[in-house]
Amino acid sequence: MAEIVSIQNVVKEYHLDKVVVPALRGVSLSVTQGDFLSIVGPSGSGKTTLLNLIGCVDVATSGTVLIDGHDTASLNDRQLTDLRLNTLGFIFQSFNLVPVLSVFQNVEFPLLLQRKFTKAERAGRVDELLEKVGLDKHTQHRPSELSGGQRQRVAIARALVTRPKIVLADEPTANLDSVTGENIIDLMKEMNRAEKTTFIFSTHDAKVMSHANSVIRLADGQILNGKGVPAGAH
Amino acid sequence: MSWFLLLLQTSLRNIFSSFLNVVIGLIILAGTFFFVVGGSLVDSMDKAMSRSIIGSVAGNCQVYEASSQDSPAIFDNWQIPDLDPIPDFSKIKGPLMSDPNVSAVVPEGVNTAIVVYGNTIDQVLEKLRKAVSPGTRQPQAVVDSLKAHVRQMVSVIQADMGKVNQVAATGAFDPQAGEDLKKASSDEFWNGFDRDPFNHLEFLENKIAYLIPDSDQIFLSYVGTDLDAYRKAFDRMEIVDGQMVPPGHRGLLLSKYVYEEMFKLKSAHRLDQIHEALTEKNKKIAKDPDLQDLVKQNRLETREIVLQLDPLSSQKAVSILQATLNSKETGLSELLSVFFDTDDSNFEARYKVFYDQLAPLVELYRLKPGELLTIKAYTKSGSVEAVNVKVYGTFQFKGLEKSGLAGGLSLMDLMSFRDLYGYVTPDKIAETKSLEKAAGVTFVPRDQAEADLFGGSASSDVEQGQQKAINDKAEMGGGAKVQRVDLTQQVYSQDEIDKGVVMGAAILLKDPSRLKETLKSLQDTCDKDGLDLKVIDWQKAAGNLGQFVFVAKAILYFATFIIFVVALVIINNAVVMATLQRVREIGTMRAIGARKSFVLSMVLTETVVLGLVFGTAGSALGSAFVVFLNHAGIPAANEFLYFFFSGPRLYPLLNSGSLVGAFIVVLVVTCVSALYPATMATRVSPIEAMASDE
Ligand SMILES: Nc1ncnc2c1ncn2[C@@H]1O[C@H](COP(=O)(O)OP(=O)(O)O)[C@@H](O)[C@H]1O
Ligand SMILES: [Mg+2]
Repeated sequence: MAEIVSIQNVVKEYHLDKVVVPALRGVSLSVTQGDFLSIVGPSGSGKTTLLNLIGCVDVATSGTVLIDGHDTASLNDRQLTDLRLNTLGFIFQSFNLVPVLSVFQNVEFPLLLQRKFTKAERAGRVDELLEKVGLDKHTQHRPSELSGGQRQRVAIARALVTRPKIVLADEPTANLDSVTGENIIDLMKEMNRAEKTTFIFSTHDAKVMSHANSVIRLADGQILNGKGVPAGAH
Repeated sequence: MSWFLLLLQTSLRNIFSSFLNVVIGLIILAGTFFFVVGGSLVDSMDKAMSRSIIGSVAGNCQVYEASSQDSPAIFDNWQIPDLDPIPDFSKIKGPLMSDPNVSAVVPEGVNTAIVVYGNTIDQVLEKLRKAVSPGTRQPQAVVDSLKAHVRQMVSVIQADMGKVNQVAATGAFDPQAGEDLKKASSDEFWNGFDRDPFNHLEFLENKIAYLIPDSDQIFLSYVGTDLDAYRKAFDRMEIVDGQMVPPGHRGLLLSKYVYEEMFKLKSAHRLDQIHEALTEKNKKIAKDPDLQDLVKQNRLETREIVLQLDPLSSQKAVSILQATLNSKETGLSELLSVFFDTDDSNFEARYKVFYDQLAPLVELYRLKPGELLTIKAYTKSGSVEAVNVKVYGTFQFKGLEKSGLAGGLSLMDLMSFRDLYGYVTPDKIAETKSLEKAAGVTFVPRDQAEADLFGGSASSDVEQGQQKAINDKAEMGGGAKVQRVDLTQQVYSQDEIDKGVVMGAAILLKDPSRLKETLKSLQDTCDKDGLDLKVIDWQKAAGNLGQFVFVAKAILYFATFIIFVVALVIINNAVVMATLQRVREIGTMRAIGARKSFVLSMVLTETVVLGLVFGTAGSALGSAFVVFLNHAGIPAANEFLYFFFSGPRLYPLLNSGSLVGAFIVVLVVTCVSALYPATMATRVSPIEAMASDE
């Protein structure tokens, strides 16, 4: 299967005043299309940093990040934005729905940004996804009227509505109780199967991790083992 | 398109999502409210005022001699501008009328004069003199009544002097005066009157009359104009009492305001003022020091009424007052004092008694339409000119009825005006010189020469004649210096009126909206024809008053400007704060693919939509308020506002310009104030979306 994410020797350092905080220290990683990959590791190990690099919301200090064949270091803000819009989908730990928009509108939002669909096309896609995530009865609700699990379902629908190649989820279950969290991971898995969308999600929950097809263990900014790039390589 | 709808939708929904937005909204709401209301008020005021000023005297523009030091200042009543005269109005009328936008050219000039008004006793003595004179003899009953009146006056003075003497140091009065009074009050004097009336009258005139110093000098401001042309051109003038001066005649129309203020019985005028304050301005005597002052003056100054009443009327007045006041007092003066000592509870009843019962006994006005008035003015050369002018009636300017600022102006025919102005044109001097030579006259006093030139109506001897009653001034002057004709009957042709000196002219336009162009083309015409005239617009010509509108407007617009600058700063800050509160949301949008431009337009649209929503609300409320004010009217609290409002109440009209202006201002203010926060929002990094909850 095609390689959708390729990361080579990526170093990410944060500069806090004069102190340099190394968040990733030479990470290499390859993700194939349709994977259901979990990044695990203790807090502060670099999971979020890694996902930000893959998600094109941040750039590496050194090393290369290839997303769907694009070298993110060579893209400008506009191009990165369009890459996020068209190729990536995001599920956030705190759901991050637009509070003033309805469930339907939240899901429709990325399609509007793409500006290439008619109203009917958009409605078709949104309704279809909302049905899949089990929220077809709640399309006109505001996020504030929903439970945490329901909100994350809306977020999943929003991440998938543009039919992205990759969906990134940074600790999508951290703000949910364990049963709801598992349901969410099940839903993601189902989507992964149905749509062949690549899912990369981080977690520090072993139960959640167990649903993954492959697992990458991070510690201290380095990969302990990895699919295709075993721990200790290089 | 749908993208824009999304923006709008997000914006609309965001409006009430944040407390800050509500704050911003309320500022905009208040701002637009005041803009719409204030704009409509100023505009209505401006329209009302310009209508009054243009339609009363000023016309749309004014012309005056270019070499003048000052420019016309019509409503600056007591400061007559230094204007050079235009020698011949007929020469400028044609060229000015040739402009297609000019509908009328009316000659005008403002001047002030002194009207000397005789003593009450002088007037009664004059009546008495007439009543006993061979040609105008009246029945003995009339003579007796007049005699009794004079005798009554003498006793009033005697009583007055007695009172004063008790208080003042002895010798404050000429002892001879006391003697004279004693004589004038004696039965002996009056018994002998009928045998030798003229000697007795002489005694009274010379020794007694001056002891009642109630003669008055009235300053009169007036516009000298071609009254017929004026009447046709100015729609704001309306006759109140009497009638219009007949075409081509000399005559004076007194301003109703001046008539009430200066010619009405003082006590009555004060009652009017109190009545108006109580009924129209909701004031209370108990609370208003000004009204208390008027009451006090009425209580103390009863003499004007007392002197007017002959014994019979006095008796009637006493019984009316006794009945009204339930009093046994017999002194008229004392009764009047009690009667005029009004408070809020009894005022209206006494007011009614005064007008229903007392007023018929007295002369409410010391001058009535149809009577002659002697007017004296200082000419430019410093000499005094005097003319007798028949007062045909009173008038007021619609909308400015109660304004002392505008009501100070009376209207005079152009011929009398020219006499009083005393200007002699160079060619007239030459003409006189040649006439003098032909007649062999070696010396003609200057004032007499002027008088002759202007139709011979001027009588320069008024100075010495001050003590005399005025209504027969024309006869009294004697034919020694000036040949007398009864000028009140003289009719002048349009040609005679036009040919001669004027101080300026008002120009009325067919299309007032083209004022600017017409001003320019008129000035061009004047320059081309070598007329040496300057053309100015009504606002300038109105003097300080014209500037007041401008100042009021400037203040309002400046205040609005300040309000909106403050609003701009506050809104800017509020939007910055609101944006900071939404960093996560904006970061999320950026993360899921929203471009910077989207974020920029989102913040801008939101603020503008917020502005428009609350701006619409503010405009709607403002409009509703203006409509309400239009029904209720805003009362003019003082005379100054009265002028601005052009009436007792301003009924403002909703001004569409203010509405449009409010929206433009809201758009500009919101856009400008949102610009910084919007660019700030574009700098929010998508990473912000990833941050976990604190
Ligand atoms: N914006 C930042 N500035 C400075 N240091 C950061 C920043 N983000 C993360 N780090 C540091 O980088 C390391 C990795 O953090 P992170 O990727 O958030 O780990 P995880 O998501 O696994 O908890 C940590 O030591 C953290 O303190
Ligand atoms: Mg993390």
